[in-house]
This record gives sequence, C-alpha cells and structure tokens, in this order.
Amino acid sequence: MGCSSSLPDRSSRRLSGLGNPESNGVPDAKNLRVKLVLLGDSGVGKSCIVLRFVRGQFDPTSKVTIGASFLSQTIALQDSTTVKFEIWDTAGQERYAALAPLYYRGAAVAVIVYDITSPESFNKAQYWVKELQKHGSPDIVLALVGNKADLHENREVPVQDGMDYAEKNGMFFIETSAKTADNINQLFEEIGKRLPRTPPS
Amino acid sequence: MSMSATSSSSSGDGPEPNSETLENQFESVTIEESNRIVQKDEATEEPQLESSFNGSLDDNGNHEEFDVLEERIEVGSDARGIGDSGGGVVWGTNSELEVDGPSSPSSSGYAGERGSSSATSASRIGEVSEDEIQEVGNDGDVDRILDSQVAWVPGKRHVDEDDASISWRKRKKHFFILSHSGKPIYSRYGDEHKLAGFSATLQAIISFVENGGDRVKLVRAGKHQVVFLVKGPIYLVCISCTEEPYESLRGQLELIYSQMILILTKSVNRCFEKNPKFDMTPLLGGTDVVFSSLIHSFSWNPATFLHAYTCLPLAYATRQAAGAILQDVADSGVLFAILMSKHKVVSLVGAQKASLHPDDMLLLSNFIMSSESFRTSESFSPICLPRYNPVAFLYAYVHYLDVDTYLMLLTTSSDAFYHLKDCRIRIEMVLLKSNVLSEVQRSMLDGGMRVEDLPGDPLPRSGIASHLGQHKLPTDSPERYREPYSGIGGPAGLWHFIYRSIYLDQYVSSEFSAPISSPQQQKRLYRAYQKVYASMHDKGNGPHKTQFRRDENYVLLCWVTPDFELYAAFDPLADKALAIKTCNRVCQWVKDVENEIFLLGASPFSW
Repeated sequence: MGCSSSLPDRSSRRLSGLGNPESNGVPDAKNLRVKLVLLGDSGVGKSCIVLRFVRGQFDPTSKVTIGASFLSQTIALQDSTTVKFEIWDTAGQERYAALAPLYYRGAAVAVIVYDITSPESFNKAQYWVKELQKHGSPDIVLALVGNKADLHENREVPVQDGMDYAEKNGMFFIETSAKTADNINQLFEEIGKRLPRTPPS
Repeated sequence: MSMSATSSSSSGDGPEPNSETLENQFESVTIEESNRIVQKDEATEEPQLESSFNGSLDDNGNHEEFDVLEERIEVGSDARGIGDSGGGVVWGTNSELEVDGPSSPSSSGYAGERGSSSATSASRIGEVSEDEIQEVGNDGDVDRILDSQVAWVPGKRHVDEDDASISWRKRKKHFFILSHSGKPIYSRYGDEHKLAGFSATLQAIISFVENGGDRVKLVRAGKHQVVFLVKGPIYLVCISCTEEPYESLRGQLELIYSQMILILTKSVNRCFEKNPKFDMTPLLGGTDVVFSSLIHSFSWNPATFLHAYTCLPLAYATRQAAGAILQDVADSGVLFAILMSKHKVVSLVGAQKASLHPDDMLLLSNFIMSSESFRTSESFSPICLPRYNPVAFLYAYVHYLDVDTYLMLLTTSSDAFYHLKDCRIRIEMVLLKSNVLSEVQRSMLDGGMRVEDLPGDPLPRSGIASHLGQHKLPTDSPERYREPYSGIGGPAGLWHFIYRSIYLDQYVSSEFSAPISSPQQQKRLYRAYQKVYASMHDKGNGPHKTQFRRDENYVLLCWVTPDFELYAAFDPLADKALAIKTCNRVCQWVKDVENEIFLLGASPFSW
C-alpha cells in the first residue's frame, strides 16, 4: 500500500480509473445507480473514506456519525459505464447496530471497514460480514476494507489476515488510507467493475 | 442510622431545632457508606471520598451565607415530576426576596467558590478555572468550533481527572448519570470508568434512603447542593455550589435524562431488567458532546428553564411563506417539519393533532447542533422525542441549508428517507425562491430586540418599516456582544429582558448589550433569572404576580400574568417606579412587534 498508488482525487473522480476494464459484454447498462452501505466499528474511518471519495477532503478531527449520512458520487469506468453510488455512511456506534438493516436493506454493495491498527475492529468487521450474508440481498457485492493503512507502524491486523478472510467469504479486499487518499478511488472503481450488469429488459 | 425516619420538616426556613441532628446523622451516614463501598471496591479512593464529603460538611462550621443553616436532608416519598416543590422541599422565603449576602471563601478542597452571583470573577482563581467559558483557553484537546455565539468548545472536559484530583473536586457543578447498580454512565468531568467508586457511593446514598421506603431529593452540605433524580433504573445526580435553586438543578437533571431518552428511548430500561449490572456507556458512545453542550446551555439558553422556545425575528410574510411550504410537506405524511437557525425557530408545523413540546425542541436542536456530522451531509437518524413518545423512535431527516439554518423532517416511517429528501429539495427551492433563506441570514446578523431601541412611551410602533422598529448599528456577527457604545443599556437603566408568552409557549429575549457584555455576566444574569423564575413558580409560596428584587448586581423585576411573564434586569440603582413604567413599555413593544418575533397562527399546540 505504498503512496505511489495514490491518485489525486479530483483528477480521477470522473475519469476512468486504473486497473483493467472488465468487459462483461452488457453495453446497454451504461448508467448504473447503486445503493452502497458502509458498515464497521466506530472510529475506523467510514466517514473519512466517504468524504475523501465524494469531496476529496480529509478532516482529521473525528466527527461521530449519528444514524447515517447520505452522500452520492458518480464515477466513470473505463468501459464508459457510469456508476452513481448512493452511499449510506452508517454510524458505528453500538446503539445503532439494531437499526443497521434499515440502511443495508436493498443495498447492492456493502463496504465493511476495519482499522488495521485495531484487531477488535477486524472482529467487528467479521460480525458484519456474517450479518450481511444472513440478511443482506443475496447478490450483494461485499468489500472488505482495511483502513488507516498509513499507520502501518501500528499495524495489528496483518494484510494476509484480511486477504484470507475476504477470499474465504468471496469478498473484494483492499487496504486504504483516507488520510493519504491511498486506494480510495480504486476501492470504488473495483466495486463498480464487480457490479452485475443487468441485461436490458 | 435512622435516616429514613427523618423526612424533612418541609417548611424550615431557618435553623431548626433538629437540623443539627439531621446534619450529623447525614455526616455519619455518608462517611460510613463511602467507607464501606471503598473498602469493597477500591481501597485507594477512601481518603478522597471521605475528605470530599467530610470537607464539604466541614464547611458548616464557618458558614456565613444566610441560608446555610438550613442544611438538611430533603426526603419526600412524593417526589415525582418537575416543579414538585410541595411536600419534601420548600425553600424559605428568604431565598427570593433578600439580597444575596457576601460569602466567605471556602477552605475545603471540594467546595468551590461562591456561585454566579459574585461580583467579579477575574481575581478568583478557583472560579476562573471552573468556568466553562473561561477554560477554553486551557483546553487544547478539542478542536475549536467557529461558533460566534460564545467561545465555547464542545466535548468532554478534563478526561484525565477523577475524584482523587483536586481540580475535579473543585469543579463547581458536576453532573452524573449512573445505573441503579452504581455503574457510571456519564460524568461531566473526568473519566466515567475511573469514577466507579464515586458512583457506587452515590448509588449507596440513594438506595439507603430508598430501602427506608423514602426518596432522597436533596442534600445540602455547606455551599454544596447534591440533587438526586431517580428515573427507574437510572439515577441522575448534580453536585453544585452555584447557588442555583433546587428546582432549577432538578429541572436540569430532568433535561439531561430526557436528552438521554432522545438518543436511546426509554426502552433502554429493558436492558436493566435483563441484566441489572448492564453497562450503558457503550450505548452512549460518542454523545459526550451532546451532554456537554446541553449542560453549557444551562448557562446561556433561557429555554432550559422557561420551557418555551424562541423564534428568529422575521417579517410576518416571510415566516408565513416558510410555514406554508412546511405545512405542504406535513400534509404529505411528515409528522413534524421544523426549520431552525441555531436555537431559534424560523417556522414549524406538525401533522394534525401532533404537538411538539418546547423541551423536545430544545433537546432535538441541541442534539443536532452539537453533533458535527449533521453538517457534512444530509442524515437520516433515529431519534426519540421524550415528551411526544418516550418509548418509540422517530426518524429524523436533517439537512443544513446554510451554516446556521437546518431543516428537520420527522416521521414515524423508517423507510421514508427518499420521500423526505424530495420534500427537502422542494422546501429548499421554495425558500430560496421566496428569499426566506436570505431573510433568515439577515436576521441572524441583525439580531433581536435591543433594550436601547425600546421606543418611547406614547409612540405607536410600526414594527414593519424597520427591523423590529430599531434604528441601530448593524453588527457583523449575530451573537457577538456589541461594543458598549451606549454604555448604560436602555432607558431607566434597563439592561435586559425576557418575555414569555404563555399561550404561545414562546419567549423573546433581548440581545445582550453593555454592561452585560461578557459571557460571565450573561451567565450570572441567567442564573439570577432562574432563581427568580423558580421563586415565581414555587407552588409552596403561592403564585406571585410581581416581584421587585434589588441586589448588588441588578434590580430584577418580574411580572407574571395569565398571558405572559416578564423578567427584566435593571441597573442596581434603578428607580422602582421608573422600572415598572419601563416594563410596561417593554410589554407594549413586544405586542407591537409580536408578528415578527413570534410564530403566530400555528395551530395552538396543546402541550
């Protein structure tokens, strides 16, 4: 997760991203609109990821999310598909856990975030994966994100653990840093590529 | 230890024959209790606990305040409901009509300085360090919010403290929430987890009295009042040496409890039914700012004791335009649509038969303003309105239309987000088109009524041509206290007033101007208002109609009628007859501009 892979946000946001375009042969579904929900323990940086992605901003002061915030952002993929993400940035606080279905119901994508310096948050991430496997949409795209990759000196969750867990559960895995913008756009671009392209009816 | 049998003789307004014994009994009780708990839990805390209680009780020796002698344990099993001042607690009449006497500096560790009515605070180190406004400079740990209202930083203070810290014991006003098993839930100062021993002590006091079939409401110890509020499995305690009346402190505890209910609903009680030792702190994670901001508002927001809300001054037509579009939305299945700028209401409507209590509005706006995340994007959050329905969540769509102005759409339906979003887009369009938003911003800059602008007696006021009929200098920031360009306030030494309309459940408060210009002075004035308010509403003393009260800081004049209440502060040297006349003019002024300062024509809320 070197800094070399980070992109200036603004330049890449509406342009095609890195990575190989996925040719899935459904040229008609050019404008996707998907509901995406972020889940994870409090303080892992869900809001920071979203604000970095949507506004290119990073605010180091922690602002506890209440309930859930709604933001949207459109990206263009290299196959000239545009994806409009309607993002539900949920609060990580325990009191909102019971209300999570309210936000992940009907979501096409769930991004489950943990903090690479906090094994506890990794456990919490696994809880969310199980919850979504049980109660989420059956064809939901799951992404596992290890955030705060810039704090590698304090790393307590090895990359391999995240990769292994993601692989076992059929998830896309990436480590990001909302602070340095590392892999933030890649995360959403990869998600965009993995979305099922619905054939025209 | 026959404390349960010592239900206070309620009418004591002086040293009573048995007050000495009660006091001694209490002293032995608390010390014994704390020792016991300390030994059980955390032996290292023993000296601190003992000395803190002992210390304040020791104050009894050298009290010079006139009402200190009425130390007693207020016990009344009928303690229920706010403002219940009959039965267990009746303050002596001396608390209302007398001039505050000077106080002696206290020697004990826990005891802080005399409260807000002291003349100056600059030279009093203890007070300065206690004051939440002054302490801003000392706090590097929380980021500064650019709030022009007061330089107050939200968030928890002094987390490194615990009950062993001298600084902690010197704090003038503590608030605690704890569970009935003695687990700390919230503390205004210090780390809750480190206060487990102290919480257990408070719990022991409460349950000791409860075991006797009684209920402890208040303990006076020297300058300190310890106020208890029991809400099922949740206990709230305030320890204060600010000399605020019991009723005020109890009202503040009620609000803190309600704020908690707003976040969690009353169904949190069920967690305690399942597990009496349930730890509630994780459930309130991240809400420190909400509570600290509410506690801060006790010293600047009159809504906290008036139980009324205030409106942003706006031309009648402007407010009507805002109300019309909100009404439109309310008809489409929104329970409440509220448009506010900071703590002032621009307009609000409720669905048929739904009424919104001013306390709920206070707590809701506090919750939203203190939680930064609402400012970053539109949000959809479960909240509970304790006065509307304490056991159920509503869903609040919240969106900031500009830096101060926010729209709240409340619904019972958990999947109404997209509908509410559409509603907001419609509302925002209409507000922009009809210039309501720019009018709101202008009014925020212009501020409200100023005592300097109090019109002369016979002049009929147009109230429309100019903003609130004023001829005033524009200020660049709404809540900044203007420079003392006049220096003497309004006519007849009028410094400030609050007018509360009973029927509308709204109040209007004049802007602060010299000589009430610093946040400290404003806080002191609000404390004085609170005291008078409590005395005016003290059921034990019958309904007061008017009260004229002079001390070294102010003349306070209040006037209560079935329609309104007026609280006015004058120069301490103000002439009584002139002050009364001036109050009449204030009332006339308020009537003249009521179209602008109040939300009229809304369905008469039935709270």
